[in-house]
Amino acid sequence: MNRRILGVLFVLTLVALAFAVADTTKPANLTASLSPGKVDLKSAGALAFGPDGILFVGDSVGGAVVELDTNDRTAGGGAGLHVDGIDAKIAAMAGVTPDQIAINDVKVNPISKKVYVSAMRGRGPDAQPMIVRVNAAGEVANVSLDDTKHASVNLTDTPDPNPGARQDPRMMTITDMAYVSGNLMVAGLSNEEWSSALRSIPVPFKSAEKGATLQIWHSSHGRYETQSPVRTFVPYNIAGQPYMLAAYTCTPLVKIPVNMLKPGEKVKGVTIADLGAGNQPLDMVPYRKEGHDYILIANSSRGLVKLRADGVASAAAIDSPTKVDGPAGIPYDKLDLKNVQQLAAFDAGHAVVLIGQPGAGPSFNPGQPRGPLTLQTIALP
Amino acid sequence: MCLAAATPPSIELEGGVFRVSGWTAPPTPPAKGWPQIFAVYAGFGSIPPMLGSYAVEKGSLVFRPAFPLAAGVRYRAVFHPPAGPDIERIFDSPLKQTTPAARVESVYPSGALLPSNLLRLYVYFSAPMTQGEAFRCLHLLDEKGKDLPGVFLPGEELWDPESKRLTMTFDPGRIKRGLTSNVAIGPPIVEGRHYTLVIDRMWPDAHGLPLVESYRRSFRGGPAQRTKPDPARWRVAAPAAGTSAALAVTFSEPMNYVLLKRMIEVVRGDRVVASSVIIDQNEARWLFTPRDPWKPGDYRLVIDSALEDLAGNSIAHAFDIDVFEQVTEHLTATKISLPFSVK
Repeated sequence: MNRRILGVLFVLTLVALAFAVADTTKPANLTASLSPGKVDLKSAGALAFGPDGILFVGDSVGGAVVELDTNDRTAGGGAGLHVDGIDAKIAAMAGVTPDQIAINDVKVNPISKKVYVSAMRGRGPDAQPMIVRVNAAGEVANVSLDDTKHASVNLTDTPDPNPGARQDPRMMTITDMAYVSGNLMVAGLSNEEWSSALRSIPVPFKSAEKGATLQIWHSSHGRYETQSPVRTFVPYNIAGQPYMLAAYTCTPLVKIPVNMLKPGEKVKGVTIADLGAGNQPLDMVPYRKEGHDYILIANSSRGLVKLRADGVASAAAIDSPTKVDGPAGIPYDKLDLKNVQQLAAFDAGHAVVLIGQPGAGPSFNPGQPRGPLTLQTIALP
Repeated sequence: MCLAAATPPSIELEGGVFRVSGWTAPPTPPAKGWPQIFAVYAGFGSIPPMLGSYAVEKGSLVFRPAFPLAAGVRYRAVFHPPAGPDIERIFDSPLKQTTPAARVESVYPSGALLPSNLLRLYVYFSAPMTQGEAFRCLHLLDEKGKDLPGVFLPGEELWDPESKRLTMTFDPGRIKRGLTSNVAIGPPIVEGRHYTLVIDRMWPDAHGLPLVESYRRSFRGGPAQRTKPDPARWRVAAPAAGTSAALAVTFSEPMNYVLLKRMIEVVRGDRVVASSVIIDQNEARWLFTPRDPWKPGDYRLVIDSALEDLAGNSIAHAFDIDVFEQVTEHLTATKISLPFSVK
């Protein structure tokens, strides 16, 4: 091999190295602070994706949120996903029967379009967390937590007041999370006190940084005020301004300007829709189609609905219960797809849904969905 | 890679580990990994193999499942030797326990008269339970025994980490004044009406076994609690110095049981007094027995302002404030002190 060829090879190697470095340094902004090692998750609940393939996992039992590097940064696509019996597949991998698998959340990596599913193996105190990812071909793979770059934030504020007890019975169940403008927003419900705060944690996580807590209030008719926990929410842009579209536990759907979310300030959302009695919004996917804005909402008892959201920007607060016999506020259409248990954004034209059979309870409140569960993409209506 | 001459290969299960005996494994896995040669399935049909790790130990290939084997599952281990026929063996995991042992120990609040805007119920079980069953197994019946729909927050069970205490929240949309649900169908509990809380025996515990017996408790709807608990109105009966008699604090209304257990302390100087606490009179009284006899002098009850009554009204603020009727007060202090003297 002569010197010239060696020189060309050297230059090519440098170029290749430069690309390799570029590929890893781009996401390293967020992943650089993460440390490799075994991820100590006690439960796997709410999921959220940040930039660069970062996955946030809510661990309610462990009282923590974990930031994981999925190392899944190869662009993908293809909205033809359809996996029947996803619960049976996860159960087989975990060595149990499908009734022992509880699927807690479904989210899509916005880069690779792989679908991530958090689940618990077992339904009692010995239940163990699992995270799996499903590729476009429908293949289900375990996301190993044994040696993964990660960081975590412990959300427990106070030491155990009763150290003699085996475990502190207090728990904050993380009901939803989303990455908004450099922060992870975390909504939760306490199993003891009613008032619970929305938390905003700067990303990347730093171990001592629990983030600011934001007191979220709800007002009805300008007359009654409640400190009401947010159950589910989604980042939303209105006229170029960042908002949160949130559902309180007391049902109303509200819009909250993100710049109002300041520690120590009382934050009140503006109610834009009330989806009616005996119902809870489970997941929301905002999208734009043919020049109009919509929000797809999966509900616990009202099924899948499409909110016509062109008026969200200008929507006045609902200030009187004018339609007491049904949903009030922004108009919406009910869709035919039944038994949607989880809903997440897939791409500009698609969402991914987890569909099950209604639970065994009475029709007004069927409870835990039954298998077999189907994971599939749907075209946004 | 060779077959042992004496005995054909076999699959064994010992201590939760699957092992291929009678076959000398190569030190490195084949190109497509060990699962190509040896895999364990939790059942039959077209299902993915179980997660786990492989190792070659003393020349034998072993598979350690990622999760412990579960009761009541048939495991199918399949070995595809490079030469010779496949070997398959079925293992039955330990049987499930069959004797029910779990029961409902108590439900709070415990009174027979509960406010119409009651916010939460706490159900204590004697053993860990299966989660996700409340909407099938927990009912609120009216006077005619009819199951009342839409009483609780849909789909929301909150458990403690041991899966022994369940928190159920009444639908806040029906409790909060002025909301569509509240106006259309009213609060879940109506003043003057009689109700029965029923927990079915069929509720499976963590082993999948039913309860020893079902649970029933009746109560009557009372007036709504709309105001903040006011510690200034509590009666504090200080015991005599030199005794270990209980300090009795009587509230002006029943309070939230689980919060009472951790939101009140007795402090002398800057030290928290060690004690045991009993809550009685349907959560309207808090009895504090010190570990050491009372010393003469000044003490303080230190109360967390997040302490709630049965309707979610905390000392800091009411559950839903009517801003037309009163100035919205916001208590900034997170701790409130009530001094008392021991003589």
